[in-house]
Amino acid sequence: MQRNRELVNFLPVVILMIVGFASVYMARSSQIDASSLSYGLLFVGLFLLVHLFLRIATPDADPFLLPLAALMSAIGIMLIYRIDPDLAAAQATWLMAGLGLLIAVIAFLRNYRKLDDYIYLCGIVGVLLLVVAIVAGQEINGARLWLKIGGFSIQPGEFSKVLITIFLAGYLNSKRELLATSTWHLLGVPMPALKHLGPLVTMWGMSFALLLLMNDLGTSLLFFGIFLAMTYVATNRLAYPIIGGILFSGGALLAYHIKGTVHTRVDIWINPWPDAMDKGYQLVQSLFAIGDGGLFGTGLGKGYLLFQNGDPIIPALHTDFIFSAIAEELGLAGATALIVIFMIFCYRVFKIAAESDDGFSKLLAAGLGAGFALQTFVIIGGVMKLIPLTGITLPFVSYGGSSMVANFGGLALLLLISNRTNKARRS
Amino acid sequence: MNKPIKRLFIVSVLMFASLIAMLGYRQVIEAQDLADNPQNTRKVFAQMRIERGLILGSDKSELAKNRKEDDLYYRVYPKGDLVPHLVGYSDPTYGQVGLEHSQNSYLTGTADEVELVNLFDTLTGKQKRGADLKLTINLQVQRTAQEELQKIGKRGAVVVIDVKTGAVTAMVSNPTYDPNQLGANWQQLNSDPDSPLFNRATQGLYTPGSVFKMITASAALESGAFTPQSRFRDDRGTVDIGGFTVHNYRAEPFGEHSLAEAFSQSINTTFAQVGDQLGKDKLIEYMQKYGFYEKPPFDLPSDEIAASGRYENGELLSPGDSMDRAQVASMAFGQEQLQVTPLEMALVAESIANGGKMMKPYSVDSVSDYNGTVVKQAKPEVWKTPIRPDMANELKDMMVKVVNEGTGGKAKTGKVQIAAKTGTAEVTGRGPNAWFVGFAPAESPRYAIAVVVEDSDAGGGIAGPVMRETLLAALGL
Repeated sequence: MQRNRELVNFLPVVILMIVGFASVYMARSSQIDASSLSYGLLFVGLFLLVHLFLRIATPDADPFLLPLAALMSAIGIMLIYRIDPDLAAAQATWLMAGLGLLIAVIAFLRNYRKLDDYIYLCGIVGVLLLVVAIVAGQEINGARLWLKIGGFSIQPGEFSKVLITIFLAGYLNSKRELLATSTWHLLGVPMPALKHLGPLVTMWGMSFALLLLMNDLGTSLLFFGIFLAMTYVATNRLAYPIIGGILFSGGALLAYHIKGTVHTRVDIWINPWPDAMDKGYQLVQSLFAIGDGGLFGTGLGKGYLLFQNGDPIIPALHTDFIFSAIAEELGLAGATALIVIFMIFCYRVFKIAAESDDGFSKLLAAGLGAGFALQTFVIIGGVMKLIPLTGITLPFVSYGGSSMVANFGGLALLLLISNRTNKARRS
Repeated sequence: MNKPIKRLFIVSVLMFASLIAMLGYRQVIEAQDLADNPQNTRKVFAQMRIERGLILGSDKSELAKNRKEDDLYYRVYPKGDLVPHLVGYSDPTYGQVGLEHSQNSYLTGTADEVELVNLFDTLTGKQKRGADLKLTINLQVQRTAQEELQKIGKRGAVVVIDVKTGAVTAMVSNPTYDPNQLGANWQQLNSDPDSPLFNRATQGLYTPGSVFKMITASAALESGAFTPQSRFRDDRGTVDIGGFTVHNYRAEPFGEHSLAEAFSQSINTTFAQVGDQLGKDKLIEYMQKYGFYEKPPFDLPSDEIAASGRYENGELLSPGDSMDRAQVASMAFGQEQLQVTPLEMALVAESIANGGKMMKPYSVDSVSDYNGTVVKQAKPEVWKTPIRPDMANELKDMMVKVVNEGTGGKAKTGKVQIAAKTGTAEVTGRGPNAWFVGFAPAESPRYAIAVVVEDSDAGGGIAGPVMRETLLAALGL
């Protein structure tokens, strides 16, 4: 039943994919050859294969998640194809790797709640990945997020995000009674005993360390945001997000004054125009691209995204700034539709969290949902100059192996959680 | 745990909603501003496949033409640093400014008037090419004005206007730059404290000092309370108004004199008293009649033109803002937060020369497509009528007196009778602005001019020869 609905949900994705690839091809036929159109077919084939697998492995899983993820990846790969067909080939490989991980997780972690026993391992690996990024990472745009191994660039933060969410789900689930007990009040807000504020302070310290060592406000905000959201879900105490928010603001303010890179980012956010040829170039060009999109966009393949020699005008166009490309070519109508797709995805994830009946699953789903929403907000808000810019991928859309693989890993967990809940309901 | 999950979802909906709101703002409300931003080179790039129209001087010599490389057209400016502030540049890296920016739709052939022609030509297989601009700039006059300013070696500007039509004959801003060398000099051009890219003629805001007395005198004469013969007495070289002491230049006492003498000798104490008697409203009324508090309607992009008026911390004050007596008195002789552009002062002189009619200034004489068909021809229009013709004549006589008997002796020449008003405007922190504003020939005026030289250590007279030589060049004498 659920899988039949899933199959129907795939229909619009396939249609969109065909129309999208065809229009990119028509607009840019002088620059790209017809054989590259096969990425579109490959894409459709891959998702149908995963669908068949889910029919056997998780028949009761949520029927919207996979089609929505396919839709987001489709929009991403279409735009990447439009920017550089070679990159689309690579992205198709990453997509395969991601779907491979999704199948592996579902096949071998059918009883995902076993993860609860390994949360400390997840947590340690998650933190280690971040440490590796900080110690051995390459500095790109002032932030240390990338690790180069051989010919590959890896973003350990993407994996770390999922692993730490798993850790927090288990940890908070076991400690939530303690954390939720209030012993005193601060300005009318019930507060937990000071000694139980330990994890909050630790997590804050970690985020702050991330900010100082990685030079990256966005990653720091993402990790701390996930933590606060999950703590709030675990305890139903507003005190945590409130205290956390104040702590984070204090840390960010301090970082602004002591770290040059953070200072620069914020200054560019406030006013990029005097530096439009230099430090503000990327953001200013992004704003110009978005502005050019207008209501309905220039049309796929018709925007002004590349220089004559094929280099993108906006650096990191296919990764961090892919939303600017979407906003230019698909306009307010198309880009809003994409944001609505993100919102529907969030809705499904939070619904899975709300419907599941055990604390670990609830927290895991809620954490993944919060992370997804926050990451989307941070990067889209960044390229539109709503908030200071941070180099971070747009989930399922941006080019990148780490991001693709990690997000499909998280998706696998969500499918498992919903499968378990729906199965219990059905019987 | 479901209540916090629900709230979390609500928070994420709010976040997504704020993204959509911001997106709508950027793509709809702000879109035009972003597209018009001079740093936005997207349009320039896209239009580099179009052969842009030429920009020509009044003698049809080329000020801007094209160089083809691969499929793309790059701009070349054969006259180098002669007219860059008005002509501007169109560059795929540095964007567009000046007429290259404001007249882009003509130059690329995308304006409505030109499009039809091109559509027809596309059908008949002719290549697309933009329309040519013929400017009103006389390169002889332009060169003379630029050389005279460069001789002094100070920052400054000159604007020359054809009295009868409002056509801009010369527009110079010093220091200048070579638009062919943007790539090599960009950093230096932007960090140079003399800001060579800045068009001082239309954007430079200067304290007017005594040249503002043309406006005070207009208000005084038209009010009926004063005539050029009205008598004044000044024994001390200072006068107290509203608790503020007004000094003459070097506190010199002038004894008994007429309003015309006060004008030609630039007597601050007398003009302070006249201003005090007229009152704030009268002075502001005449400022507005002369086009203060609005940007003159000119061919340049609006962000390259400044309005004249009272400024505070870089912001134009409202004409309705209140002022005390002391402020009104010192405004009457051109101090008190007044800031004017050389273009505005040239327009003031032009309207006095033109019997009280201020013409709308323009620099694009005609636009013609590449077949030579004129698609747009500038027509002289009256922009303001600040004073009556008889008052304009009285002012003109007073301005002749300035050159013949007063402070404007430096502009005197035997070849033609020049009428002028001088100014030495004090500026805190550096030397005064030296002004010469006027027109020639006095008996039947043809050209009006405003000259300003910044940081003048030699007093106001330094600008006199610039005016004289430029006017002689314009008159062909």
